[in-house]
This record gives sequence, C-alpha cells and structure tokens, in this order.
Amino acid sequence: MALPPDRIDYLPIIDRPVIKWPNDARVALWISPNIEHYEYLPVNEGVRDPWPRTPYPDVQQYTYRDYGNRVGFWRMLEPLDKHGIRCCISLNLAVLEHFPEIAEAMIERDYDFMSHGIYNTRYLYTCTQDEEREFYRDCIETLRRHTGKQLKGMLGPAITGTVNTPDLMAEAGLIYHTDWFHDDQPTPIKVNNGGRLVSVPYSIELNDSSVLRDNHYSAEYFADICKAQFDRLYEEGAESGRVMCIALHPFLIGQPHRIKYLEDTLDYIMAHDGVWQTTADEIAEYYIANYYDQAVAHAQRFTA
Amino acid sequence: MPAQRTFGMDHPHHEWSPIITRPVLRWPHDARVALCVILVLEHMEWQVPDGAFQVANLAGGSAPRAFPDYARLSHREYGHRVGIFRLLDVLEKHGIPATIAMDALTADNYPFLVRHCLDRGCEIIGHGVSVSRMITGEMSETEEREYIQSSIDSLVKATGSAPLGWSGPEYGESDRTPRLLAEAGIRYVCDWANDEQPFPMTTGDSPFFALPLLYELDDVASLAQRKVTVADYQRRLTESFDVLHEDGAANGRLLALNWRPWLVGQPFRIAAVDRALAHMMECGGVWPATGSQIIEWYQSQTA
Repeated sequence: MALPPDRIDYLPIIDRPVIKWPNDARVALWISPNIEHYEYLPVNEGVRDPWPRTPYPDVQQYTYRDYGNRVGFWRMLEPLDKHGIRCCISLNLAVLEHFPEIAEAMIERDYDFMSHGIYNTRYLYTCTQDEEREFYRDCIETLRRHTGKQLKGMLGPAITGTVNTPDLMAEAGLIYHTDWFHDDQPTPIKVNNGGRLVSVPYSIELNDSSVLRDNHYSAEYFADICKAQFDRLYEEGAESGRVMCIALHPFLIGQPHRIKYLEDTLDYIMAHDGVWQTTADEIAEYYIANYYDQAVAHAQRFTA
Repeated sequence: MPAQRTFGMDHPHHEWSPIITRPVLRWPHDARVALCVILVLEHMEWQVPDGAFQVANLAGGSAPRAFPDYARLSHREYGHRVGIFRLLDVLEKHGIPATIAMDALTADNYPFLVRHCLDRGCEIIGHGVSVSRMITGEMSETEEREYIQSSIDSLVKATGSAPLGWSGPEYGESDRTPRLLAEAGIRYVCDWANDEQPFPMTTGDSPFFALPLLYELDDVASLAQRKVTVADYQRRLTESFDVLHEDGAANGRLLALNWRPWLVGQPFRIAAVDRALAHMMECGGVWPATGSQIIEWYQSQTA
C-alpha cells in the first residue's frame, strides 16, 4: 500500500512469485516463546502504564509473569524438547543478565533470538532517534556478550515502536521485524537507507497472550485453532510456501492446566511431512537471499 | 430530540412495522431465505485525521495501542492481501455472489483488488472514506454530503459506475444519513440492524430501503468483541439460518452477513465459514444474491 506509512508494497497472495522452502516444505513453522522480565518498579513514561491496576508495585501481576521464569519456562521445555523444536526466542535481553539458568538452557538448545527489548516494561514510544539507536546497540551487544550470536531481528518491546523503527533497525544491521501481521509470507519492508529489512509473520492470533489472557479462551481452544491454522496453511503451502508462527509465554502456556495442549498441538503438527521447523532468523535470511528482489520487482505492477 | 411518548418510531426514517403484521414476502423460486454476504474492504489509517472520528475500540492488532500501532494497521491489511481471496473462493464454491463494501482509500489505492472484485462479478457498494473516518452526528450537513459524495466519486473512478448500496464504516450515521444517501443516488443502506426483511425508508422522492443485517453475527461483534469461538460462531451461523429457514416458510426472511476478510479470512477461521455456508446452501430454499438483487426484488414485490 502506498498509503502512510508506505512501508509495505501491496502484493496480493494470488499474484506473486512462488516461494519454495528448503526440501520443498509447505510450511515454515517457527515457535516463538516470549522470554520476558517485567520490572517490579518500572518507570511510567506517560504513554502506557506498565502496571495500570495499582500504584507500583503490583505484586499480583508482577509475580504472575515471574512465575513464567521460575516454573513455566521449565515445564514448557518438555513438549518442545520432545519434538526437538529449535525455538526463536522473543527475548527481553535483560533476562540474560538476571537469570543465567534460563540463558544457559536456551544456549544449550541452540535457540535463535530476536530482541523483544530490554524489559517488557520499557517501551519505545518516547525514544528519540538517538535513544533508539542506542537501544539497538545495547540489544546487539548484550546478545553477543551472552550468546556469541549476532542479533538479526526484533519484535518491539511489548509490541511498541516509533515511526523510525524500521529505518533504525536496518541501520543497526537487523534484517527482520515481526510487528507486522499483514501476511502469511515474509514481505519486504521499505527503509530509508538502502538496507534490506523484511517482515517475518509472527502471530497476534496464534498467541497465548491474546488467546488465553486477553480474550479468555481455553487452552483446548488454543490447540484447536493452531491445528486449524496449520491445516489451511499446509494445504495452501503445496502451491507456494507459507509461514506459521506460534507465539508463547511461559507464564501462560506453562501453567499446569495448559501444558498438555501445547504438547497436543506439537504432536499434531510435527507428525506431518513437509514442515520446515525453523526460526525467524533462518526464514528472513532465506527470503532475502531468494525472494526479496523478486518481490520488490513484482510489486511495481500493483501501484496505483 | 428526545422521544415524545407517542405512537411509533422516535425518528422519521421509517414506519413502525412489527413483523407479524406484514404482508407475505416471497423470494424468487419461493426461496425461504435470501442470503447476502457483505465483505468489507476498509482501510485503517496510520493516523486518524484531525477532526475525524474512529471508534476507540476499533478491532484488530493487540490490545488498543498508542501511535504508531503497526500491529493493528497490518492486521487489518491482511484482509486486502490474503483474506479476501480465501473468502471469494469459498463464496464462489457455494455459488454465493459477494457484495463488497469498499471504502474510498481502498478504491483509490488498490486497483488490482478493485479489478479482481469486478472480474468475479461482485457488487461493490459504498463504505465511506476509511474506517478511521466514520460518519457521526457531529458532522455538519455539508461535511456529511461531501463525505458521501467523495466516497461515491472514488468508486465511480475506480469501477466505472456509481454504487447502489451503502454500508457506513462501523455503521456510522448521523440523523440525516438516509436522506443524504438517497439524494446522492444510493438506493439501499446496510447500517440498520433491526429486521429480518428489507424495509422502505422515508427519505424523500426516490425509493430508498434498508437491507438489515443481524448484528450479533457480524464478525467483529461475534469474534473480536464477544470472543465467540470459531466452532461456536459456525454454530450460531447455522442455527440462525435454520430458524430463518423455518420462519421463512411463512414469510420470506433475509440473512445478511457482514464480514471482514482480515478477521474471518484468517487460515484458522475460513473452514468454519465454509462449513456454515455449505450447510445453508445444502438446505435448499435459499436465494444467494447481492444487495441490489435483493432490493430490486423486494421493490418489485412491494410496489
């Protein structure tokens, strides 16, 4: 669309270059646990109140989330390990500094990491351009120091950003941004500095935070819609590869009454051939190497 | 003006008419139910223009967020890129023509989509300028007139013909809207959710009708607001249909559905919609039609 913010060219799914995933897979499946820390006494910068229920601290909401790191995370690993899932962690980078056992468990499994900010209670809304530049430098440096890995992408902290975010991400050398929900395939995101940034479809629908917490559905329902999503994308992926993401939060999916539904979902999906179980890092790299230029060229025919 | 405690409606737009006192309405081929599926192609704007009104809880994305809200903007864009094609395929499979409510920003900026809808025989109806600029009672008459005309002009430019129908973004109207729509050449409006048959509206010289829909079955109302499960939504659609089908034996009924491709067109929802429509079409006695076809028939029966 050429409409503001003019970041994504229009490409109808029925008329665009065909995507072939490695080994002719139909669906690129990535599982993205959000490993987060919410501050006990955050600073309210005036745009969004981190703990709107009470004056700080809000021990109920703080500990509800911290449960994910103390207990839920470890329970969540069981079904993931059962299927040998290589996750792409949406990471509040300060977790690496606060909780070394979690860092170690993720590194040991060779997970990939995208930035999800430093803390989930620090949003980007009020950042000046220089502050946002410093933010990316910090994310990149912190990840490298703790894991040896190069940071490649971001889901904005608590899904926040500024109007400059895609430009500054590309300037910092990042290659993908997952705050966009407009497609079942990766798409180029236009930036002002000649960099190559793509959207890798994360999910606001197949997301335990939306489904279980915001919208109060059951975990059984979460499993049902994950399977239905997979069925449809698997069917369509025979023609052109699709991306499916399941977004998790250990404080939600790691609750004792919910965990079996994650296992059930993964049992179902992973029993299929033609699934490329991968990470957003790998999807972005593969797309940029093979389809980015084609997509940009093809989109020119749809401009008004 | 507050109601005056006298007989009938507290507005001048239509007569009081309980369904039990009406003449019998028959659809073509003695169908019991006329089925109209309205697919909404609307654009949420990056920033709400000064003076424009956008509902505070506009569906999509994560919870309501401060600017810039990449999540909600892009979530809704899913309909234009992916969801619409899934829905059109499903409708075509069941032989149901689509009625597309298209806003001006879509008509102006998505020529491929306009052409595609026309090529597939859809009826395109007016849907305002954008979902970030709905009609409200705070518009002046001049502003509202210009708003309606610019929406129509965009469709004329994009499609080559003027729309016969209208659906306001987020059902937005002032207390003048039916009259202004009629004066702009529109013949029917889909904002009124108060009946199971079309009904005439009082707008002046030219005939003008409401094509009412069942608000609870609107996908935003059911899925985004009431958090109905996909399976339950399918059940509500089929069970609503079954009752209309039964009642329609005595007096024809209308089932008009208002769907956003970014919402019901998601991969995990499309099968449920497909199954619900399959159920309806298998029952027999259904007339799948566009808004204009339904209104034209209704007018011919009630003239």
